[in-house]
Amino acid sequence: MKRLLLLCALLLPALPLHAESQPSPQLLETLEKNAGSVRTISSDFVQEKHLSMFKNPMTSKGRLYFARPDQLRWELTAPVASGFVLKGDRGRRWHERTGRTENFQISQEPIMKLVSEQLFAWARSDFAWIKKEYRVTVLQESPALLRLEPRSAATASFLHHLLVGFSADGRYVKSVELHEKDGDFTRIRFQNTVVNKALPADIF
Amino acid sequence: MDEPSVNLFGRLYRYFAGRRRVLYGATLLLVALSLFASSRLQLQEDIVAMLPDDGSSAATDFRLLQLAPFTRKLVVSLKAPAPGDSTALVATADSLAQALREAKVGTVSTGPAALGGEFFGFLGSALPSLCGEADLKRLEAATTPEKVRERLREGYEQLLAPEGWALKGKLQTDPLAFSDLVLERLRFLNLVPNMRLVQNHFVSADGSSALITVDTTVPMTDSAASRKLMDRVDAAVKKTVPAGFSATVLSGHRYTLANADAVKRDLYLVLTLSVVAIFAIYLVFLRSMSALFVFLVPSTVLAIASGAMALWATKVFAVTLGFGGVLLGMVDEYATMIYFACRKGGKDPALITAEVSRPVLSGALATLLSFGVMLLSVLPGQRQLAVYSMTGIVAALLFSLVVLPHLVRPAPGGSLPFGGMKTLRPPRRLVLVAWCALLAICAFGATRVRFNGSLQAVNLVPSELKRAEAELNRTWGDLQGKALIFAEGKDLESALELNRRVFERLAPTLPPGELVSLAPLLPSEARQSENRERWVTFWQDGRAARLERDLAREGAAFGFTGAAFAPFLATLKTPAIPLNLDGLRAAGLGELVDALVLPGPGSVRVLTLVPDRPELIERLSRELAPLPGVRLVSESRFGAVMGGSIIGDFTRYLAITGVLVFLLVAVVFRTPSRIALVLVPVVTGVVCMLGIMGLLGLAFNIFNIAATILIIGLCVDYGIFMVSRLEDGGDETSRLAVLVSGLTTLAGLGALALARHPSMQSIGVSVLLGVGTGIPAALFVIPALHRKDQP
Repeated sequence: MKRLLLLCALLLPALPLHAESQPSPQLLETLEKNAGSVRTISSDFVQEKHLSMFKNPMTSKGRLYFARPDQLRWELTAPVASGFVLKGDRGRRWHERTGRTENFQISQEPIMKLVSEQLFAWARSDFAWIKKEYRVTVLQESPALLRLEPRSAATASFLHHLLVGFSADGRYVKSVELHEKDGDFTRIRFQNTVVNKALPADIF
Repeated sequence: MDEPSVNLFGRLYRYFAGRRRVLYGATLLLVALSLFASSRLQLQEDIVAMLPDDGSSAATDFRLLQLAPFTRKLVVSLKAPAPGDSTALVATADSLAQALREAKVGTVSTGPAALGGEFFGFLGSALPSLCGEADLKRLEAATTPEKVRERLREGYEQLLAPEGWALKGKLQTDPLAFSDLVLERLRFLNLVPNMRLVQNHFVSADGSSALITVDTTVPMTDSAASRKLMDRVDAAVKKTVPAGFSATVLSGHRYTLANADAVKRDLYLVLTLSVVAIFAIYLVFLRSMSALFVFLVPSTVLAIASGAMALWATKVFAVTLGFGGVLLGMVDEYATMIYFACRKGGKDPALITAEVSRPVLSGALATLLSFGVMLLSVLPGQRQLAVYSMTGIVAALLFSLVVLPHLVRPAPGGSLPFGGMKTLRPPRRLVLVAWCALLAICAFGATRVRFNGSLQAVNLVPSELKRAEAELNRTWGDLQGKALIFAEGKDLESALELNRRVFERLAPTLPPGELVSLAPLLPSEARQSENRERWVTFWQDGRAARLERDLAREGAAFGFTGAAFAPFLATLKTPAIPLNLDGLRAAGLGELVDALVLPGPGSVRVLTLVPDRPELIERLSRELAPLPGVRLVSESRFGAVMGGSIIGDFTRYLAITGVLVFLLVAVVFRTPSRIALVLVPVVTGVVCMLGIMGLLGLAFNIFNIAATILIIGLCVDYGIFMVSRLEDGGDETSRLAVLVSGLTTLAGLGALALARHPSMQSIGVSVLLGVGTGIPAALFVIPALHRKDQP
């Protein structure tokens, strides 16, 4: 499974707090099985950030590319062209307006490390890891809609919960909502998703 | 010399002649009691024995050097099979750190305290207390409408990225990145040059290694405790570090153990060789059961001297017993003198004892004087060695003159081994020519000898440790090669103020990577107060209001609400909180604070680190001299100072000893020609030792100086024995005594030349050269010169 849940990204390893409400094991198995057949993903996305410090939602557009096992490209196309590529422990980011491109090592950037851990965990459909990090509740069986609450107190201090919606066939993530503790939230909707299409070699 | 009368020792012989059982019983009881007392000795394996305790700068510097951050730490550098897999590296570092904690080796750290919200809160709140004039100018430039617009655009764009969630709070509290001014100051707090933080772990810049530090309470100078500590560390490493990974452990304890182990290995080798050689010497020259008693003298003396030490001091330096034991092991010339005289017989044993006692007493007095002067030494180990050795010498003297005459029977017909060496008389002219030629060559060579006062010259650093040092420096930069500057005040406030003045002198010429100082992050309260007043003034005159309007206007263009930056604007109006140590600790900087702020009884020291480069140290010493309370301590300079101090000590000692021994010889032998004869072995031994070392290019170090004392003591004895008995027909026994005791000395101490430890090797080489030339001078040159004197 893939993808994107990305954003949600953020989480620190967790300490179990209390008993979790179990989702249907069959559902998770199905999702994991379906995602297992995914080798590549390419998708457009629209991101809306609902932040109290802004008068209106911030809207941005971009594209996501993923190839097993550990390559990912996240790029914004509007309102500003920027993004990053992750390959294993290495990364490269760019920003069109400033003209800056820089390489980095994921392990040396704590925030980026959190983001990439989340991105790859979802992209590889590592439900064992996801269940360790979150309490998973099934809000809807078909298409699947999951609510995830962080187990770790550190993560819970800023992330209240995630809502992750899957496509009808359960092969990819259709939407992600990241709800923060202070009421701000980010919604990402994936569109024009294509699975297992050969990607240009230079995309990563 | 006059015919000796039956003196005290002659009378003692007669007194005990009918009471031998009492004498032997008392002797055995004394030895037994001494052995019992010796068993209660507490050894102090501490370098403090070799540090001046006269309040000199060397001793003070040594104590201060122990306060350097990494000197107090044990460091483990964990290397991954290949760079890049930081997850496995960090996980292995955590496992090893846990194993070390379980092994109770000390406080284990894999990284700094987690820099969380408190740290970023600190960054914001610290600014008013830290901003000087130059900083406010930078703030002024950063708050123009154009800069505000630029910053807000950057912030806006960052929020769009996936990692933007983490920047939201910072944008609200610090939209113009004022806290960069504080972050810049952290560059002056980098104790590990080539280090980055990965998952809050110390990881090398190339990503290949993780650093684990251990704060241990075990003094690095205590080799016994060091061994236990390192065994626990090594066991944890062996148990935890997986195949492919490697761990390099470095600490002062390693050096201590390397030296201690080398000394033990050397002693084992040397003592084995010595015992075999000495046994062979006794077998060849003494050839009687009663010779066994001569053989027992050194061990008896050792037992008595050690027992006496146990009564005199609760703790004895290991170096005292080690070096003193070797010294006393050589003190057998008194016993050999009495042995050969008694074996020759032909007279009343009381008379023999009386005759022999005079040269023996003179020789012992000369040796006692030599060691007695050591009581003036500034080295506590040296003073203890003096007491120990003098006790042993007195014991050897009493045993040889009071007990031994009763144990040695005359040989049949009074024959001595090798006919008393009567036939061994090379042509007088040949002897004198050879001797003069040797002296001339060696006198020339002595002018070329180099003095090396560095302690490093006598310190063993095995290749394994050198490689570990090189590896650590390659990976992390120079962790330990820093000079220390202490700013000391009666309280923290005065120490911080002094530390600030030090920083202001150093900062213009030393970049942050080289200069480590707390001053940029923690000025004195007085300076902080000034800064806060300046801060308040700066934001008055409508500047804060203008900035608020600019933020609102420029922010609106990006969609920010009017209240978006309220948390930031509030900080401009809220009274700032003073910075203090607790605040820095709460912000996660406790480890740095504790490394650089050193409270002591009645004073506080604040530490600054600079590179330990000789030219820099010289310059900084001059520049910091006008600041009272500031002390610069450099390891490289300490070595030179320490070496100089010890050389000065020994040189003074040698001079006083030389004068006293000369006076003693002058008093005993009176005429210039006989005085000169007595001094022939000493002069020959010392000149030849220096000369041959000079010709061979061997440097003369502090242990060579120590050995010179021994050479003087021994060679004077040889001269006294030979000259004393040349005229009373006892020269045969003197020759044999000099030869045998000289050979045992060479076998015992000279064998140290084979040692690998530089200090022991130095002693061995000196003794080998000095005694090795002093013996033939006594045996052949003195008789040759004496024959010339005869009518």
